Amino acid sequence: MVISPSSTNSSLSTYRFLFLLRRELVRADFVVGVVCYLQAMADDVTRVLKPPSLENLICVSLLLFRSWQKLNASIILKLILVFCWYLMHLLVCLVHIMASLKKWLLSYIISFGLLSKYQNLQLDMLNCLAVVVDSEEATDTRKIKHLLCWLLTMDIKYITLYDMQGLLKKTLGNDLMSLTKTSTRSCAVDDVKTMASVFQMEKMTVEILSLSDGKEGIAKAASFLCSKYMKDDSVSCNKSEPAFTESDVANALNAVGYCGPEPQLLLIYGPARCHLGFPPWRLTYTEIVHMGSLRFMNYGAILREIYQFSKKHQNYGT
Amino acid sequence: MLSSLHLNPTLNYATLNYSSTLLLLRGSRRRTRRGGANDSLVSTAHPARQYPSLSASLAPAREEERKEEALLPPHLRPESLPRHVAVIMDGNSRWAKARGLPSSAGHEAGYHTLKKMVELSCQWGIRALTVFAFSSENWTRPKMEVDFLMTLFENVLKESLGEFLREGIRICIIGDSSELPQSLQKLAKEVVDKTKNNTQIDLIVAISYSGRKEITQACQNIAQKVKDGLLEPEDITESHIEEELETNCIPEFPNPDLLIRTSGELRLSNFLLWQSAYTELFFTNTYWPDFGEADYIEALTSFQNRQRRFGQRIN
Repeated sequence: MVISPSSTNSSLSTYRFLFLLRRELVRADFVVGVVCYLQAMADDVTRVLKPPSLENLICVSLLLFRSWQKLNASIILKLILVFCWYLMHLLVCLVHIMASLKKWLLSYIISFGLLSKYQNLQLDMLNCLAVVVDSEEATDTRKIKHLLCWLLTMDIKYITLYDMQGLLKKTLGNDLMSLTKTSTRSCAVDDVKTMASVFQMEKMTVEILSLSDGKEGIAKAASFLCSKYMKDDSVSCNKSEPAFTESDVANALNAVGYCGPEPQLLLIYGPARCHLGFPPWRLTYTEIVHMGSLRFMNYGAILREIYQFSKKHQNYGT
Repeated sequence: MLSSLHLNPTLNYATLNYSSTLLLLRGSRRRTRRGGANDSLVSTAHPARQYPSLSASLAPAREEERKEEALLPPHLRPESLPRHVAVIMDGNSRWAKARGLPSSAGHEAGYHTLKKMVELSCQWGIRALTVFAFSSENWTRPKMEVDFLMTLFENVLKESLGEFLREGIRICIIGDSSELPQSLQKLAKEVVDKTKNNTQIDLIVAISYSGRKEITQACQNIAQKVKDGLLEPEDITESHIEEELETNCIPEFPNPDLLIRTSGELRLSNFLLWQSAYTELFFTNTYWPDFGEADYIEALTSFQNRQRRFGQRIN
């Protein structure tokens, strides 16, 4: 029953009466329950205290004693097990919390420049860094720009931003278009969703991609390849079977405008640890790191991942 | 809630009222029969018993209940398990090197781990398991190691065929088989044929596999269809490419829900590039021969706990 502030006095009184009556009934229930319980206990005691035969008495006593022992041992063992289980859980949780705190603290220490080894990073191996942002979080353009500024200070030359639904193309793309030299694919300019954009800034190139640049790009490359094959096949009078190589597919991707450098490092911001359809042709040997939510992005965390990447050795399957 | 002692006035003995937490310790989840992808598996945690008799509560659990309880770890929800798990079995050589053993010992130990993982996947109701056994880049490894691996694959297929048939494991081999030894090619074909009607679990083994090569092969197959007049070049879409991929041997779940990579590396290494768009990636520092039940449970738990929206917005 909901009483609004504007109720009349009579409604309020009725509610108050009902509440008090319910409380008394609950108390009465409780009293009745206790009385029944005591009565049952008394019945049990009376029954037990009826004069039985000696033999029966001994048997019953022994039985009760053994049952009580078993019961006690069983209950105690189970209680100990439950206690140990919860204690183990608590320890594991504490260890996990401490590890997370340590990671968080380290990120901030790195951010403040207190650790020298994170200051002069060797970025020879990092030609292209990609950032995948969950579409839900890609709406926070301010954070994305903040991230770009951080990456600019780290002297990263080529950055690829990706979100599945193309929100970054619409929001960030428009802002960057007015500031930089922009190159786009040769398709409908007003269809921003299917248009990838490469923004040449003074010290950095920013490429913005979406889902249509991934699998759909490969489908267009396949279409290009097939058209070319059919044209060549008609010239050679239908003699050759189709035989494509990886280079053919790469060239076809270039021809249809879906080429780009393979990122060496890919940072994922979002709840799920997956790359959400980033162009598959470019992910062959990319290091993939899940950074958590974009809301909690941290300069020190990015520096740490780049530092760890710089120490990696890839054998490329050999 | 811990167990509480409840005195029933109508009985001479004290009775116990178990809580579901205590049952959780013993693993109260029962494995149900595998059905479609959307089967809702009923949790069989017993409700709190009202007045069980003392002898029943202290008696050992029935044999069938104990076996069923052992099948799925307690905190894994059967309805949230991935249907298709992919594994990059990395770290065999490093495992062996750390123990002063030859790399062949690492690969053999890795095989035993794979065997255990297939067993666990069957028990826990995983429908498909794809394992990256040998990549196209691995051909550049020392000849001795490559020859050993080819021999190992042959021996495993020969010795395990009976087990595949017994356990209902369907084998699919993906990758460029033309580079494999003739005997292995023949044996692989035989095993695939003999197990094609099995339904318990699909085990896809990627040998001499490359994700880029797979996409290239798919484009080639589509070109053949165009040549045969079945398709126009301008009508080619992503779904045409997906149909031609080798993982389409399991049409119900061609894309893995969870991908596990061992040994601490954080990359796909040319494995399932197309199929892994929405795959949850789990990287662990454990070397593959050391990857056990606990690690597998950790990966599955991590999968369950993720908020997977497949890039869409939550309204």
